Amino acid sequence: MDRNKLNRLIAKVEKPARYMGGELNMRIKAEAEFRFALCFPDTYEIGMSHLGSRIIYNILNKRTDTYCERVYAPWVDMEEQLRENNEPLFSLETRSPLREFNVIGFSLLYEMCYTNILTVLELSGIPFLASERGEDMPLIAAGGPCVCNPEPVAEIMDIMFFGDGEELVNDFMDVYAECRRRGLNKRDTLIELSKIEGVYVPAFYKAEYDENGNFSRIVKTEPSAPDRITRRIVRNLDAAEFTGDLVVPYMNIVHDRVALEIFRGCTRGCRFCQAGFIYRPIRERKPKTLIDYADRQLGCTGYDEISLFSLSSGDYSEIHAMVPEILERYTKNRVSVSLPSLRIDSFLKDDLEKMQSVRKGGLTFAPEAGTQRLRDVINKGVCEEDLLRAVDDAFESGWQGVKLYFMIGLPTETDEDILGIAELARKVSRLFYQMPKDKRGKGLRCTVSASTFVPKPFTPFQWEPQISTEEVLRRQALLRSALKGIRGVEFNCHFSETSRLEACFARGDRRLAKVIIGAYKRGARFDSWDERFKKEAWEEAFAENGLTVEQFGNRRIGIDEPLAWQHMDSVVGMDYLRREYLRSREGIVTGDCRLNCNGCFGDRCGTLCNMHKPDSVWEIRKKSGGSEHARNEASEKNAEGEVLSE
Amino acid sequence: MRIIASFYKHEQVMFVSHLDMQRLFQRAFRRADLPLAYSNGFNPHPLLSFATALSVGYTSDCEYFDVVLSEYVSPAEFKRRVNAVLPQGVHIVDAVDAGEFKASLTPLMRSAEYDIELELAESVPREAFYAAVDEILNGGEIIVSKKTKGGIKDVDIRPMLLGLSVSEFGGRTAKLRLRGKLTAEGGLSPELLLGAFYKKLGTSANSSVNRRNIEMDWTVTA
Repeated sequence: MDRNKLNRLIAKVEKPARYMGGELNMRIKAEAEFRFALCFPDTYEIGMSHLGSRIIYNILNKRTDTYCERVYAPWVDMEEQLRENNEPLFSLETRSPLREFNVIGFSLLYEMCYTNILTVLELSGIPFLASERGEDMPLIAAGGPCVCNPEPVAEIMDIMFFGDGEELVNDFMDVYAECRRRGLNKRDTLIELSKIEGVYVPAFYKAEYDENGNFSRIVKTEPSAPDRITRRIVRNLDAAEFTGDLVVPYMNIVHDRVALEIFRGCTRGCRFCQAGFIYRPIRERKPKTLIDYADRQLGCTGYDEISLFSLSSGDYSEIHAMVPEILERYTKNRVSVSLPSLRIDSFLKDDLEKMQSVRKGGLTFAPEAGTQRLRDVINKGVCEEDLLRAVDDAFESGWQGVKLYFMIGLPTETDEDILGIAELARKVSRLFYQMPKDKRGKGLRCTVSASTFVPKPFTPFQWEPQISTEEVLRRQALLRSALKGIRGVEFNCHFSETSRLEACFARGDRRLAKVIIGAYKRGARFDSWDERFKKEAWEEAFAENGLTVEQFGNRRIGIDEPLAWQHMDSVVGMDYLRREYLRSREGIVTGDCRLNCNGCFGDRCGTLCNMHKPDSVWEIRKKSGGSEHARNEASEKNAEGEVLSE
Repeated sequence: MRIIASFYKHEQVMFVSHLDMQRLFQRAFRRADLPLAYSNGFNPHPLLSFATALSVGYTSDCEYFDVVLSEYVSPAEFKRRVNAVLPQGVHIVDAVDAGEFKASLTPLMRSAEYDIELELAESVPREAFYAAVDEILNGGEIIVSKKTKGGIKDVDIRPMLLGLSVSEFGGRTAKLRLRGKLTAEGGLSPELLLGAFYKKLGTSANSSVNRRNIEMDWTVTA
């Protein structure tokens, strides 16, 4: 689209900076053999906050044969403008229509973005279903955690990427380029691509259903395609490509800072947490690598905030050495450092105080459940004492705002567990107000948040149902009244229809593509935005296809029943997940696998996980029995918290 | 030391809001590794202020800011270092050492001049176009609806208008030069003026507005 036309169009929409492009460090290429449109199916400010997309953007643009450009879902006002003016959706770098690209790759981070995929396709004149697209159409691809259960969007995608993208996307481009140069047609190209580990070509498989309307099995229709698609794992994360020079947005985005992933994977094994299973094994970046990245990124962006993130930052083997070093290095330049997802332990207390010296942050703890019994069921591995001690430390250090995160509807939850949440909040409040006035802040701001549990594939709770809407509302009301009158405590929860649908799409099968299309045609867009959510559109779309939300989201699946995602091999074995599920029913806790291998990879433990190789940092530490190891054990007993910069 | 600088904001960044421009400069100063002075207080921030904001969607050849540095940097070096790291479309035109000059910039503003390009929705006869300009200038009160804190109010913007002339006219396109008051208390909104102009003209138009100059009274003292 030419610049003048674009200017006129975006002058009429809210937040025009979303569609402007031209940001600092945006990659510019005169020409490349192949064009890749990397699309995050949500708004610019959300998509730009996704680190994975930024890594892929950098990797693809490092190739001389490929130019990767960014695309985001247009907000409803922009969609309207494009339709009114009969203009196609365009990339930010060169303002090109998406039909001109060889590949359109979607990042699928959450299920509720699925209708936005359709907006992007429709505004580009691209048919929704893979089977309706001819040779002249771009290849439609998807990656990201939703590929764990690819089935609800399987009929839309030509190709899907399962697992870490750093190496996979390069393998893909290599083979794709080779196929194009050989002049292969789409089907033959897909056959070649399906030979890459981690690549799923849905068209090569067919789903079957039983007489009750439940999924029964998936059948391969292309003999050369793999029986199961194995998740790609980057073995050496430290050497893997990262984001390169970050594109610096003009407008405020959700995570507007330098973000460094200090390690991938988590060893805690919380049974509700999908990320805790699908990013295994744990792989760290070296402190030196991280500090080099930090120097470079702060220098090329001018950001004054840096976030060292992971699934549980306190578990980083060098955390006690690195945090002081990073603070020392950057606070004098007024860079604030945040460590989200931190299991607070006393060894970090001084560092936390230092972190506050630049900018006062908020503090979040996630006990997840109100009683020890339920915390054991979900394998949270924290006890009340630890939480209270951590909160006490925080109050003493001057914090007066804490957030407590819980989930409602966890497997085996009873009213006693709900009331336990209120009990815990009461103890936190009491702790604060018992402290002498000169030692603590003025007034407590304790926010209790309760989200609704969503069972996810590849977790030990994948067989569990989500509780019904009525039951969610009843338990929320129970909690609300139990929290009433506790000094300084605020309750923050709202039932959203979206968590219902999330449960449905998380465990849904291939038939749901038609439902997504039906809801889209009835106006569903940006479904994760509560104010945009169109309940009737979804209800009608389900009814039209003879399906229900409940049959996917609220059904208990038998432990030996077929699963719609069983052809995806997440490396953590189904046997292991079954074992964990059964242990959860008994309330048996499974230990941190840094201490002892629990065998989650089955017979691939020895080949795909480095953790218990004799030269791993954890093994060395175990043998030396030194203070670091003692600290690890001590920290394990502590509450999990999160330090966020505001 | 305090540096006063003028900069342009061209098409590439015309949709960057005022708040985002502040952040854009703060980040540029950090990239340029300049010794910024910070405010005292709960959340210290760099001592950077702009004379005025520019409407989102306008371009400008002449905007002003001032910034306090904790160490001396020559204005020439300041300009060179910042321009080396600014994104396309923003550029420092001039920088001076404020020295003993303590006044803040906003109260120095007097008026602003705009170049406006119009693309009319339908073609208009030359006489009618000039008549509409004449009516704006000499037709007495120009009442427009203005959003204020207390709701929508009718106000007369004629006292804010200092000049309007036609630089070019081509039937469906035209170029105007507009001069209006711009002070710390407020100023002429080109958008509101154009709205009134379209009414007199009997048609609407797409417009692009460039602020070509802000007249400042540098003799004011703090």
